[in-house]
Amino acid sequence: MISDRIKANLTSEFRQSVLAKLGVVLLLSILLMGLFAPVLATHNPHEQGHTNDAGASYPPYGLSDEVPMFEDGDITYHSVDGTSEHLLGTNDIGQDIYSRFLYGARTSLLVGLSGTLLATAMGVPVGLVAGYFGGRVDDGLMRVADVMLAFPSLVLALALMGAFGRGTIGIPDPIVLAGFADGMPETATFPGMVVVVVALVTWVWFARVARGEAMAIRNEEYVKAARSLGASHATIMRRHVLPNSLTPIIVLATIQVAAIILLESSLSYLGFSGTTLSWGYEIQRGYDYLPNQWWIATIPGIGIVLAVIGVNLIGDWLRDALDPNIEGEGGGGAG
Amino acid sequence: MLSTRTSRAKAAEVLADMTEEILRVEGLKTRFFTDEGQVNAVDGVDIAIERGDTYGIVGESGSGKSVTARSIIDLIESPGEITDGRILYRNQEFADGIRDDNPDAVDGAWVDLRGVSSSVRRSLRGSNFSMIFQDPQSSFNPTITVGEQIAEAVEVQRRASANPRSTRARSKEYTLTSLALGTILPSKRYVTPASRERAIELLELVGIPDPVERADEYPHEYSGGMLQRAMIAQALAGEPDVLVADEPTTALDVTIQAQILDLLDDLQEELGMTILLITHNLGVVARMCDRVGVMYAGEIVERGTLEDVFDDHVHPYTRGLLGSVPDLEGASDRLQPIPGNVPSLLDHEMNRRCHFADRCPKAMEACLEHPSEHSARGSDHHAARCVLTRTEYDEARALADGYFDEADRPAGDKHVGPDERDETLDEDRQHPPAETTGGEHQ
Amino acid sequence: MSSGKFFVRRLLQGVFVVWGVVTITFALRALSPGDPVNLIAGQVPDQATRDQIEQDLGLDQPIYVQYFDYLGDLLTGSLGYSYNQRRAVSDIVAQHFAATVELAVAATVVALVIAIPLGVVSATRRNQPADYGATFGSLIGISTPNFWLGIMLILIVATQVGFIPTSGRGIAFHEAVYSIFRYGYVGHLFEWFTYIILPAITLGTYFTALITRLTRSGMVDELGKPYVTATEAKGLPKTLVRYKHVLRNTLIPIITVLGLQLGTLMGGAVITEEVFNWPGLGQTFITALRNGDWPVVQGIVLFIAVAFVVINIFVDALYARLNPQVSDE
Repeated sequence: MISDRIKANLTSEFRQSVLAKLGVVLLLSILLMGLFAPVLATHNPHEQGHTNDAGASYPPYGLSDEVPMFEDGDITYHSVDGTSEHLLGTNDIGQDIYSRFLYGARTSLLVGLSGTLLATAMGVPVGLVAGYFGGRVDDGLMRVADVMLAFPSLVLALALMGAFGRGTIGIPDPIVLAGFADGMPETATFPGMVVVVVALVTWVWFARVARGEAMAIRNEEYVKAARSLGASHATIMRRHVLPNSLTPIIVLATIQVAAIILLESSLSYLGFSGTTLSWGYEIQRGYDYLPNQWWIATIPGIGIVLAVIGVNLIGDWLRDALDPNIEGEGGGGAG
Repeated sequence: MLSTRTSRAKAAEVLADMTEEILRVEGLKTRFFTDEGQVNAVDGVDIAIERGDTYGIVGESGSGKSVTARSIIDLIESPGEITDGRILYRNQEFADGIRDDNPDAVDGAWVDLRGVSSSVRRSLRGSNFSMIFQDPQSSFNPTITVGEQIAEAVEVQRRASANPRSTRARSKEYTLTSLALGTILPSKRYVTPASRERAIELLELVGIPDPVERADEYPHEYSGGMLQRAMIAQALAGEPDVLVADEPTTALDVTIQAQILDLLDDLQEELGMTILLITHNLGVVARMCDRVGVMYAGEIVERGTLEDVFDDHVHPYTRGLLGSVPDLEGASDRLQPIPGNVPSLLDHEMNRRCHFADRCPKAMEACLEHPSEHSARGSDHHAARCVLTRTEYDEARALADGYFDEADRPAGDKHVGPDERDETLDEDRQHPPAETTGGEHQ
Repeated sequence: MSSGKFFVRRLLQGVFVVWGVVTITFALRALSPGDPVNLIAGQVPDQATRDQIEQDLGLDQPIYVQYFDYLGDLLTGSLGYSYNQRRAVSDIVAQHFAATVELAVAATVVALVIAIPLGVVSATRRNQPADYGATFGSLIGISTPNFWLGIMLILIVATQVGFIPTSGRGIAFHEAVYSIFRYGYVGHLFEWFTYIILPAITLGTYFTALITRLTRSGMVDELGKPYVTATEAKGLPKTLVRYKHVLRNTLIPIITVLGLQLGTLMGGAVITEEVFNWPGLGQTFITALRNGDWPVVQGIVLFIAVAFVVINIFVDALYARLNPQVSDE
């Protein structure tokens, strides 16, 4: 499956490429932030009221803000200084932005990774079967793919969310339950429906790539030989077709993690997510407080950009090293 | 066929004082600076070509013959670079035109092309030198009609002769603005109706039937032979002094090959062109050339008249090449490949010995020194880069069989096949494959 | 001729795609939990009113009857009626589509005008600072969510540049052009420009980055092809080699990618319109979806699907025209 040759390519490409290293560093740090959010957070992300005495939210540490206040019918300006207590400031209702940033990383990556996994699990078998057997099954898949392509992925995702609702799952947080982070939320809200929806929107890319690989491998001599020796279709699929199509699927999956992170942030920006601990949702909150409390919308956006750049850089690295020859159309998605 | 050529070469010798050299290459070195290291694709080549002659450069692929041709016509691109040598071109009108700007590069009617600016060199392309390529299908732009592409070449020449030589290099290039205007206004287009007419005439000249219709067709609608004719038409558009033909028949069927060679022959007679023919096919050389240079590992190892090289060769490599071609006279149609591989041209893998020694059946101790060129058989037009020009082969001083197997391995890993390579090399020490010669760079 | 056959086949495929999209959106409406009767009545109605509304909408019929009724309506050109706007969906689509088309075209123009020169510079000066800049810039471009980019533009403009509005559409393009021809007044066109520039940049950035990447890699491939050397060898001016030959051949396959990316463009338009309060189909779609106004949602999705199919047939035809090798197959 992953031969020594591939490993060697990956390593040498990684050594040569500054960007690949940057990608790994970016993704790893965001991954760690999300993973250990309860430990790294300074405040419970839901806790409100971290404002100064006059009720104004704090700017990031080191900055200060002039806040207009109504007093006896007059507008007066109060200066609010950032505090080290709230490194990245607080939002409109006084929640700690740094802590929410960490939890937002968790949501983004969780949705990105599990959405990609689910889409792979849905698309790859369909694509392999269609490509391997060809004929009607294959025609059917291609027509379905045509239909899915005509849907803008964000539009389809929104329509699905509109129809299915914003179901979430509460997952107990082991770090908090084990007592390592007192005062943090004991269950994490996992936007399960978002994961299902992004998988429904993106599975067809995996099906297309798997189909192309299966079609190519089907005609290889060694597959024909295995067939003539009496190997069953199932065995051939498992032993030959699947392992050989792994490389392009891995590259596609990486690109799709980036696309899904962007899609999730769009959904939550538009209020179709189900959890409030999401970068997109936080940007939506900050939109209403422009331009004065600019940091509320700015900071989570930087999180999205860094995470997506990290994933894209890793995607470029894998693509250069593995040279899977897939079309660029699966990449990107709605920004 | 051989006999007519030989007699012609003899006639050329007789009339030696009436012929004149048109192109002289001296000590040409072209290097490619790749990630794997410096590739010495052309390593000190001397060529002298007389007006109206056909000069053949023959060698295996990767010997640097194609790079030599491209160096002459200034088509070497990064990471390649001509690092040394002179390329002298004799043209009185050209020399007069650029003398004031380039006093150092001009000597009488001779101009050293390495000493003039790239725009001047560019101005020679198409009008003084032109080139035909191995694979016509990939050497035409697939999305533009053949007629239009030939008309472009005509236009290059038409515009060039409209400007006097002295101002040509400085005259404005066709700008992006003109190109943009040309998409809207037909009168601003680069190619004029007159050039289109001429393109059709040229197609007719090279024997393409229905040239008016065929001019509007795309390259993929042509057969290989027809498209090679069209490429020759394109090369003739500028009425060049020197036509460089890089493997002009390699991609074609045998019957078509003969037609294309006939065409080149006829055109040369008619137009008095000089042809530099690059080929690995000795049959083509025998059929076309007056003089021949045999290339190996970036050097010309033997040169002389066709007769010298075919019937009176000195270098064992020439002997080997001739042995590896089906004999035209039919004495033997078995192809005898020369044992061993074309050597690596990577600078750090090249030895200071004779590059052919490891494959040479007559390798001697003297061959461990790099040989310089000496005249062969006492002739002034026949020379070889081989110790055998001066000494006879002596079995007593021969190198033992398998001498290079041991000597070379630690230095270069040259004989490791690509498959073994992956197993044996760790990723820190990535050597390029032995075939990476840079010779057939593109 | 074969191109006619090709066209018919593409058209049939297109009809199938549109049917598929219609069917999926219908299924989503059927699955959705909202109750249209409440929406239409504006409150919880009494039983008689409820029955009346259900009968009018055909909601009392079995689901497959509703489905075929809907298909029948579509075939007669009716997209149905909005639940809470009391208007025909076709009117709503007609009212808003021009704004979206304007925005999409403006974004595409922004993308092409920036991306193609950038891609060319990047490809022709490989591994030089300009190339690194373009490559890194396009990496950021494809990694930035456009709603956040829009908000950042609003933030910068609102604090630094006074005269550019950050919300709304101001004036329609055709009205602005009309006022030039009718009154010789250019001010409206300028006003139009100030309104559209930020949304167009927001929507166009992803495509700028994408096309830059495609142009660069395509041109690098193309520059390595033998015909480029042959064209150089005949002495053609560099401008012509680079643009008439190489760039043209680079852009031909990019056209088809752009056709396929139209979906992404429309998806991007939805969220861009929401950020800039741009009164187009995207904003209408989001509002309808939030309100459970499914006929409008279905109508807009149908419109997008038809646009996608039609434009891609056009793109294929254009591709076949520009690439003679394809038209002969």
